Amino acid sequence: MKKSLKISDFGKNGDRLLTTVKKDDLPPLPPPYDKIEAEKKWVEISDEKKRRTTCNLDGFVALSLPRPKDEGEEKQMVDKFVAGLEKLLTQENNWGFLQPLTLTLEYCAKCQTCSSACPVYEESGKNDLYRPTYRAEIWRRLVNKYIKKGPKWLATLKHGDIDLNWTTISRLYELCYRCTMCRRCAQSCPMGVDNALVTHELRKMFSQELGWAPKELHESGTMKQLQVGSSTGMSQLVVKDNLDFIDEDYSEITGLEVKTPWDKKDADVLLIHNAGEIMAWPENPAAFTILLNAAGVNWTLASEEPSYDGVNYGLFYDDFQLARIALKHAASAKRLGVKKVIMGECGHQHKAMMTISDRILIGDMNIPKESCFPFLEEIVFSGKIKFDPSKNNFPVTLHDPCNITRNLGIVKPQRRILRYLCPQFREMTPHGVDNYCCGGGSGFAIMSGNNFPDWRISVSGRRKFKQILDAFSDHPAPEVKKYVCAPCSNCKGQIRDIFAYYEADKHSGLKYGGLVELIVNAMVDLKEPFIKWEE
Amino acid sequence: MLILLSYAAVVVFVVGAVYRTWKIRRMPMHLRWELAPVPHEKGKAYYGGSYFEDHEWWTKRREKSLANELWYMFQEIVFLKGIWKHKRDLWYFSFPFHFGGLYLVGASVGLLFLGAISGLNGSFASVLNILIEVLLGTGYLMGGFGVLGLLYRRLNDPDVKPFSTFAHYFNLLFLLGIYASGLYAMFSMQRFVADLTGFAVSLITFNPDFELAAPAVLHVFLACAFLIYLPFTYMMHFIAKYFFYHDIRWNDEPMTAGGKMEKEVTRLLGQKTTWSAPHINGQGKKTWVDVATEEVKK
Repeated sequence: MKKSLKISDFGKNGDRLLTTVKKDDLPPLPPPYDKIEAEKKWVEISDEKKRRTTCNLDGFVALSLPRPKDEGEEKQMVDKFVAGLEKLLTQENNWGFLQPLTLTLEYCAKCQTCSSACPVYEESGKNDLYRPTYRAEIWRRLVNKYIKKGPKWLATLKHGDIDLNWTTISRLYELCYRCTMCRRCAQSCPMGVDNALVTHELRKMFSQELGWAPKELHESGTMKQLQVGSSTGMSQLVVKDNLDFIDEDYSEITGLEVKTPWDKKDADVLLIHNAGEIMAWPENPAAFTILLNAAGVNWTLASEEPSYDGVNYGLFYDDFQLARIALKHAASAKRLGVKKVIMGECGHQHKAMMTISDRILIGDMNIPKESCFPFLEEIVFSGKIKFDPSKNNFPVTLHDPCNITRNLGIVKPQRRILRYLCPQFREMTPHGVDNYCCGGGSGFAIMSGNNFPDWRISVSGRRKFKQILDAFSDHPAPEVKKYVCAPCSNCKGQIRDIFAYYEADKHSGLKYGGLVELIVNAMVDLKEPFIKWEE
Repeated sequence: MLILLSYAAVVVFVVGAVYRTWKIRRMPMHLRWELAPVPHEKGKAYYGGSYFEDHEWWTKRREKSLANELWYMFQEIVFLKGIWKHKRDLWYFSFPFHFGGLYLVGASVGLLFLGAISGLNGSFASVLNILIEVLLGTGYLMGGFGVLGLLYRRLNDPDVKPFSTFAHYFNLLFLLGIYASGLYAMFSMQRFVADLTGFAVSLITFNPDFELAAPAVLHVFLACAFLIYLPFTYMMHFIAKYFFYHDIRWNDEPMTAGGKMEKEVTRLLGQKTTWSAPHINGQGKKTWVDVATEEVKK
């Protein structure tokens, strides 16, 4: 029998790995992917890297946390950590999540129902480290022993033991980035406990108190977005240039006049894309432009920083960064005088703008916000544009971004479109609000330091890859081209990496893309297919 | 003495329950953190849909269904539907424990007091006593079975064992003691229910003269001690569960201009923060608004 990982071991033997993940532990992939996986080697962390950074969790390093210089620095960090834990449970410092967090702290029955719902835990070969309860339990024990009033022996008796030291906090920091915060665990909890929220809150605490956050999310993420305008690094000038280029390009490809409007005052619609689309998947903003212009929508993009980028990584790790970006997005909409803001195909943008920041945008900053799915549904079924579904006569499946389905309850509009326009549409199992995360959620898709991509593709993305293969099991051959509709930039990034790693195009004929591309591909007015199967 | 303990148990339990509820209720409004499915979404809840699916949702009248919420809660409270759906092997023990050990036993206690208040006698009293005896006996048996199963899981299941602490075992053994002592009293005393009714009468009439037989004393003592202990444990989750569902998972109320929510948020955003990372540097001097509207240095 596999040896259980003890929670009380978490703060011990900090110079060693707490556990390891081996390829043999992972549930097998179907052929030929089992062989492909066996042949590929996971990157090993070099000795030099180990000397400089903390590598004491599971052999993977997402964060490159520098080792402390001496015991004094260690103690300073531990003290800050304790202060941060305390602040998480105070009204003035964490009013936005105090109630859900406190209830989650006090009422978990440790029944492990959530573990079976977690694709990371399941696909890791059931490694205890990745249980939703493991991380949360460490936090509960730390709070009960070191933060709450009362004797430590009683806390240990009631809640179990844990050491507090550099090892504990450095491991916990890394462990916060082994959960995609998909909230499947919370959905399955009979009590209502939300262990994904614990991940969220711990990440926040590390960022807001110790200043620790992944470079991709903070320095190159929210900070860059606030300083330059976009986490992609695109300034106002560059983004306009890029879109001009995309417009030109797609005018040539489609024979239509493709022109993206900027900064139109009093437009009905302000569309905010995830700027990653402009850089990595230009066909997505181009498709939006073609469709919205064809439907006669009075719309615009905003060139004011950072409102040409709907990204808000603050959602994943820092309430203040989230608020700063959300306020700027709202301010641009207000200045333009638009009637509503439409979310582009980006899951976390939906959640950040439509729910999380809903309660901080007050007065005239609270401009109506709508998901692109009902908006596109309205256009498709308005009769303004002629469609020929036979143009989409290839197998299509839909990946449900967690932030849009499970967190916002937007399930049907995208399906109505796909059922109408894609004759060979089929669902994954499970789907809708029970879907599985792509494995790149909560910022993982853009985190590619050290050997973290190996983990995020082989472990956290494994269930999604299997689901995709299963959805197309009636057409496994690569000659039949198949389309995974993944209407979220983050999910697309992850699926791109999974497909590249396993060479899924070559072996299974798999392609991924957004929803709006499928809609435009079915437009009668387009003489040539919009979706190109060759890269 | 037992009578005093019984009064104390009721007082501690009620005060504890009220305090726990008050503690949760007085926490500030939180940011939206809903989770589909939200059962009050009329016509959408069955697949997890929400009002966000509607084109220009803010222009539509929100269709909410209280009946759906109540039906969801009924299935969850009575049948533990969530565990049935997500953790079947746990349900086989958790359901008998909750349904028998809590609801049936609780209902029996209610009927005992009903009998005591109504002062029934003759054949009506006999019928009620039989009913109570059946309910109580079934409750003890189901509760005992459930507790033993849960105990077995905690001791042997490698998924659960590492997360089980002294308190978990103590709680389960405590409950087992109550069910076992109840069964023992029931089978060792000829007038178990009638005597308990008599004890209930003495509690209602503040008459300390009624004496119970030793097995019943042990049972009542353990039950009262448990009631006193309960408010200090996570087993008060029946209160928390209401808030988990209604205040968090299903709280999808959007912000409306000029409403109560807006006033409350304005107050909360005006609080001073002490988060100390360099990009915040609150020091208890800056409010949330100050930090959120601060320009980041280029």
